[in-house]
Amino acid sequence: MAKILRVDIGTESVAFEEVPDKYKFARGRWLTSSLVADEVDPTCHPLGPGNKLVFSPGIVTGTTAPTSARISVGGKSPLTGGIKESNAGAKFATMQARLGIAAIIVQGQPKDSKQYVLAVDKNGARLVAEDGLRGLGTYATTDALIAKYGKVGVCCIGPAGEMRMAMAGICFNDLEDRASRFSGRGGLGAVMGAKGLKAIVVNSRGAPAVPIVDKELFEAGRAKLTKAIRSHDITKPKGGLNTYGTAVLLNILNEAGALPTRNFSRGRFEKAADVAGEAIFEGNKARLGKEVYNHACSPGCIIQCSNTWYAPDGSEMVSCIEYETVWALGPDCEIGDLDVIGRLTWLCNDIGLDTIEAGGTLAVAMEGGVIPFGDKKGAVKLMEEVGKGTPLGHIIGAGAAVTGRVFGVVRVPTVKGQHMPAYEPRVVKGIGVTYATTPMGADHTAGYTIAPEILGVSGKVDSFDVNKAELSRNFQTTTAFIDSSGHCLFIAFPILDFPEGFQGVIDECNGLLGTRWTAEDIGRIGADILARERAFNKTAGFTNADDRLPEFMKYEPLPPHNEVWNVSDAELDAVHGDAAS
Amino acid sequence: MTVEVWLYGPLTRYAPAPSKPGYAQLHLSLPDGSAMQDLIRHLGIPQKEKGITFVNGDLTDMPGLQADSDRVLHDGDRIGLMHTRSMWPFQYRFLAKTSPQLEKKMKRGGGGGVFHSSHGRSSTREGR
Repeated sequence: MAKILRVDIGTESVAFEEVPDKYKFARGRWLTSSLVADEVDPTCHPLGPGNKLVFSPGIVTGTTAPTSARISVGGKSPLTGGIKESNAGAKFATMQARLGIAAIIVQGQPKDSKQYVLAVDKNGARLVAEDGLRGLGTYATTDALIAKYGKVGVCCIGPAGEMRMAMAGICFNDLEDRASRFSGRGGLGAVMGAKGLKAIVVNSRGAPAVPIVDKELFEAGRAKLTKAIRSHDITKPKGGLNTYGTAVLLNILNEAGALPTRNFSRGRFEKAADVAGEAIFEGNKARLGKEVYNHACSPGCIIQCSNTWYAPDGSEMVSCIEYETVWALGPDCEIGDLDVIGRLTWLCNDIGLDTIEAGGTLAVAMEGGVIPFGDKKGAVKLMEEVGKGTPLGHIIGAGAAVTGRVFGVVRVPTVKGQHMPAYEPRVVKGIGVTYATTPMGADHTAGYTIAPEILGVSGKVDSFDVNKAELSRNFQTTTAFIDSSGHCLFIAFPILDFPEGFQGVIDECNGLLGTRWTAEDIGRIGADILARERAFNKTAGFTNADDRLPEFMKYEPLPPHNEVWNVSDAELDAVHGDAAS
Repeated sequence: MTVEVWLYGPLTRYAPAPSKPGYAQLHLSLPDGSAMQDLIRHLGIPQKEKGITFVNGDLTDMPGLQADSDRVLHDGDRIGLMHTRSMWPFQYRFLAKTSPQLEKKMKRGGGGGVFHSSHGRSSTREGR
């Protein structure tokens, strides 16, 4: 039987509980958001004793289902003030799933300034007071924990989380034990820091396999999804993602005039091609004398999109430089140098920062005159100040909205206090609808979709003359389910084009759980998750006025298309109807 | 007329002059009235390698559709040519600037142009 592990920092106690019947099938985002909605007062201070931090692997995580090692982390966000779910691919997820722990709930607050490590294995859980890791970066923390605890899945925070900065993420080790996989968004690292919890280590050695009710059905589903992933141009071996990583999008968005540049003042960057996925691939080839294809971030991933950037001497500089990371630390700051972007990425990983919020905030600081745009040395120095916790570092560490306010900047590209990712909504208006209306704040991972015929809108869907509201709602509900399945969102690429791949996901879940879900049930579950998240936000004080893009986008035309944001408020409000805001 | 052409990834091998890592930027002189297919022929790019394409920031082609072959180019146009290996998932291009010809072709392909890759779709169907 799956269990919930409840950790109370205030009483230094750990306890295993039964999973309540209403959550017997819920995992991943479904469980983290449900537990946060049930147990956390939406009006609480995110860094106070009322907030809780919840970790849950997905439904099929820990099995042989392809690309399914996601760990969902939930809590109230210190960045947005609303509910937050942020997930990462990591062996930590697989290990927690194999230990039969549906959720780890961390609650309470340390009585003094003590710091803790939570160690979990098949014999139970221990909360250990541990002062030796204080102030350490995520790389050194991960190394120290592996030296002490052996082959474990590590989840930790860096100095930013300890200093309760609103852009602090939660870091997991990858397959090579690099501190490089992040539940980055929304400042959940600060919540962990406020709990005095420096790290969690999980070891699944000796744990039984994840139980599967109907192995035949599960296997059939797994085979269908595997085939879809392996045959699609985007996700197949040596396909787009495996060769160029997510940074393959950089040249595309730049050509489209939708690559936010110089703090969202232009849609094209003249040096974009010098820092794109193709340049990373060719640059590595030149430095190493051979082609390097990307690697898996977590066990069982067959897409393998994580890249590595190598230094001129052939040593590893950093892994991984995602599209969003390159963009935030590069074009958005007018920096067109991969070695500088690599250094900044390494710093973000080590300090424990969300790279989108960090890069976006640097750009806002540049706009505010703190350093000039394109100032490479200045950018590195500012990032180091964040790590050291200087007063200026604390301002930057609080995120783009706060930094913009401090320096009197109008052009602050945030929704609900969270910085936008790398797609200009004035040009790609569909993603703007999702930025505005997801409960998470501006988030590009909130609106993935599946084949329209499965959504039951076949024949009606027309991407060019479309009911934006209906489509965005469908995207968000589908995403909420995929985030609960344990699969990486990138399975959405093949299953959009190959409906049998999506059936494979349903079969996997039904096989594992013994349920008889249909595609309609998937939609219902996704809608239920979203409704809970929005209800939380409503009680926390959000209204429809928070489902908006920043005002400057309505009156500042973006070159080269010179478009403004012109989707009406009524259309945005139609996404969730009259439901909670 | 002169057009500005950007070749990305594997397409850089069709650049007449040495390119930078991962891309090539060319300024090409073409006869007035030249269309996209003339440019592609001039560069020697096989049709099956031509993927996502942009003209002046408008999406004009997706892998496997050849929706812009007849598009007439103009002096000063910026043309961005991607290999079929590149991708632009639907949710990141939903309501982006798209040429009417491509819109039409994508709609005809089913799903109202929602799919990620008509190329991926057709190639697997053939494979079954």
